[in-house]
Amino acid sequence: MDFEGKNEQIILKWDEGTLLLDGWPRDNTPYNMGIWRWDSRVGNWRCDAIYYQRIKEKLSQTANFRDEVMQPASVHWPKVDLPTLRPEQSEALDSWTQSGRRGQVIMPTGTGKTEVALAVMAETKTATLVVAPVRDLMYQWHRKILKGLGYDAGIVGDNTFNIRPVTVTTYDSAYIHISRIGAGFGLLVFDEEHHLPGRCRREAAILSTASMRLGLTATPERSDGLHKDLDFLIGPVVYNMPFRRAKGSTLADFDVIRIPVALNDEEQQVYSQCSRIIREYIVSQREEKPGYNWQELCKETGKDPKARHAQKAYHLKTSIESRAGEKLRVLEDIFRLHNGQPTLVFVGSNAMAIEVSKRFLAPTILSHTGKKERLAVLDGFARGLFKVLVANQVLDEGVDVPEAKIGVVIGGQGSTRQAKQRLGRILRKNGGSQATLYEVVCENTKEVHRSRSRRRSDAYERTIHRRV
Amino acid sequence: MLTSEQSIVEFKAAQVYPDKLKRNAHRHYFEFAEQMLSIYANGIGQQRRQLHKQVEKLFQDEADCPIRRIDAFCKLLDDKSVYYTDPDGNAARLRLQVFSKAAQFHPLVSQRDQLFEHVENDIKHKIAKELERPWDEIEQGLYADVMEYQRLKEFEGYSGASEFLSRYNVAQLQAALYKAQTMRIWASGDFKTILRYAKLARLLHEIKRIGPSQYEMVLSGPLSVLHETRRYGISFARFLPALLACKGWRMSATIKTPWNGTARLSLSDKDGFSSYLPQPDEFDSSVEEAFAKEFGGERDGWQLIREGEILHENQTTFVPDFVFRHKDGPEVLMEIIGFWTPEYLAHRRETVRRFRDCNILLAIPESSLKSDVVKAKDIVTYKKALAIKSVVEALCEFKIKVD
Repeated sequence: MDFEGKNEQIILKWDEGTLLLDGWPRDNTPYNMGIWRWDSRVGNWRCDAIYYQRIKEKLSQTANFRDEVMQPASVHWPKVDLPTLRPEQSEALDSWTQSGRRGQVIMPTGTGKTEVALAVMAETKTATLVVAPVRDLMYQWHRKILKGLGYDAGIVGDNTFNIRPVTVTTYDSAYIHISRIGAGFGLLVFDEEHHLPGRCRREAAILSTASMRLGLTATPERSDGLHKDLDFLIGPVVYNMPFRRAKGSTLADFDVIRIPVALNDEEQQVYSQCSRIIREYIVSQREEKPGYNWQELCKETGKDPKARHAQKAYHLKTSIESRAGEKLRVLEDIFRLHNGQPTLVFVGSNAMAIEVSKRFLAPTILSHTGKKERLAVLDGFARGLFKVLVANQVLDEGVDVPEAKIGVVIGGQGSTRQAKQRLGRILRKNGGSQATLYEVVCENTKEVHRSRSRRRSDAYERTIHRRV
Repeated sequence: MLTSEQSIVEFKAAQVYPDKLKRNAHRHYFEFAEQMLSIYANGIGQQRRQLHKQVEKLFQDEADCPIRRIDAFCKLLDDKSVYYTDPDGNAARLRLQVFSKAAQFHPLVSQRDQLFEHVENDIKHKIAKELERPWDEIEQGLYADVMEYQRLKEFEGYSGASEFLSRYNVAQLQAALYKAQTMRIWASGDFKTILRYAKLARLLHEIKRIGPSQYEMVLSGPLSVLHETRRYGISFARFLPALLACKGWRMSATIKTPWNGTARLSLSDKDGFSSYLPQPDEFDSSVEEAFAKEFGGERDGWQLIREGEILHENQTTFVPDFVFRHKDGPEVLMEIIGFWTPEYLAHRRETVRRFRDCNILLAIPESSLKSDVVKAKDIVTYKKALAIKSVVEALCEFKIKVD
């Protein structure tokens, strides 16, 4: 064997999220693997970084092969202080390990997915990238890694770029930076993995060489069906704990109470007027173009001031629904009824959150809320100083909130996932008392439909529906 | 640059048409532009949402104006603005202060009854008194750090309505490119600028010569050869102003449509977009300029063309300053080294060596040569100005070699 033969040296290199095979002749596809493409721009074979492990296994049989791809550092955890895993958590950990350390763990909210991930990290001791949906969750991972493993993780996101062997980031930042940082991690953790398969975000998985991958979620399914790609991006489902098993055990029982509110006269008048504008416009259009629909209307808003008028009327309707004055009055009633009990209020928009906050002088957690303030607010809520916490969608997923038994949903959209996540927030088992979720929706508006679709989720099975 | 939410495109027969304000059809936009600029110029101290609302109001009765266009105008105005952002966290501090004071009175009710006695207005009045500020002021300050409520500090603005509007047109082109996958350029000049900016935008190129001084260049990123990706959309958008500043080109970008089809965005230097980047300098140095002027368009059968050819191998490119094309066919490339350092000279020689199969004449300052060095045939030297005579002599040597 010619170890010295410089001309025949085969070199595997990292190039912005892809792998280049230098020195392999053009006329023969490496190992007949369909993943390779000849890149005439650089005169090399190229493939996606996700195949790194497979490629390496093949190439290591070649004598004159050199691997120049950055290898993941091994990590020493300064101080491991993790709780003992509950049986279902150990089950999840074991089946992940036995499945070649690649795969998805599906567990309902509040059953300790994070603890499973930390246990995985404690065991694998390799450079790890944790990807979370939003900044709040990213910081929460940072805190939990510090607390459980004694490691001060790097942060990529929120205008910070501090990369360390163990780093936390968001899906959006991971997508942007993965072509720079995709080599050098041994383990990827995708928290709320259903965010991953989007057209762009999936590149966070494809452009990385990490051989070990863990996906976590309560709700893997996506309405666009792309969740089937998670098998390729992360690995197969290795553990799936049904929602029913969680209910009543780790999670508390709960009521769902829907409170319909009416618009006041002034709101109703504007609302009806808006509805009329939209209806009349569409009817007039349909006279000439049968089947004319909302999409076409939106397309014409730039040309036709009447179409724009109709579109504005629609936005005004939505805004009236979400900010109906009556909702503030109902909220006051709920606060009176549950005086002394910690209450979470979920709203659909920043504007509504600020409105509620200014009316009741209650603290908010919004997408832009700084780290320090967020901690102060959550801490004040946990200590009972603040009885009410107002949040927009930011708290929808995974953010740990101190104990709360009362939840109020005002506005928001009707997706199944959101409903489950929101329920999960207030259903963490804290003592034996019953949790209650109020939904405040406008009567005779399309919000009622959203509420119905919200209840279709299996999370709402066996719940009580009352009218107040 | 705009966000995708402010992008307006029309798809027609597999072509993409980004929103464009036209000199005639949109003549009245000059006045709008002037008014918008003055809203901001006179809006120091106002909240972002107030400024946006005023801009929106201008277009209330304008038939031809989608909402996204208004949003885009606001974005371009905000890009030239500085807002007070409360870096010291005063608003956050005020919130904690007020909410902590109010917490003990929860819930603040609208009307007193037997169970609840803390009326909203009374408590607010009480807190205002404790903080020694009127409640209105407190309420205004509570969320002053939220984007929409930030106040305008400075407005740099644009040189005028016409610059603002042409910026808008370029910005819409750029935004349409966010969804681009590859860009194909046919160019007949300014190769150096095109290739330099493509490289700065971290794009890879594929170059094909399609005729004398005619090239087709396909730009994309490393991943593009493997699958469709939007990863390089931002790079195309960043690169575009450089292309717009050049002359003699036509471009076609492949763009993904919302319904997963493909469309093209086609553009050329004749489309009347003005770049905010200056036009590329015609000459890199005064030596070059003086030489070109003295040589003229043609001499002794040699035609002189500036930046006439691209030499390339994989991702290395070299655009010599001049091409001499002889009427009988032969071509000689010439690179003039103006300023020099030993490293730069060595780098240039390495490039020339890489493309040694081409006829390359190197013009270097005499001062860069050690006195005892034997001069190679493909090198001419100069002191202050490059002598036409020595160049033509060297060209003839090449011709003899070729013949």
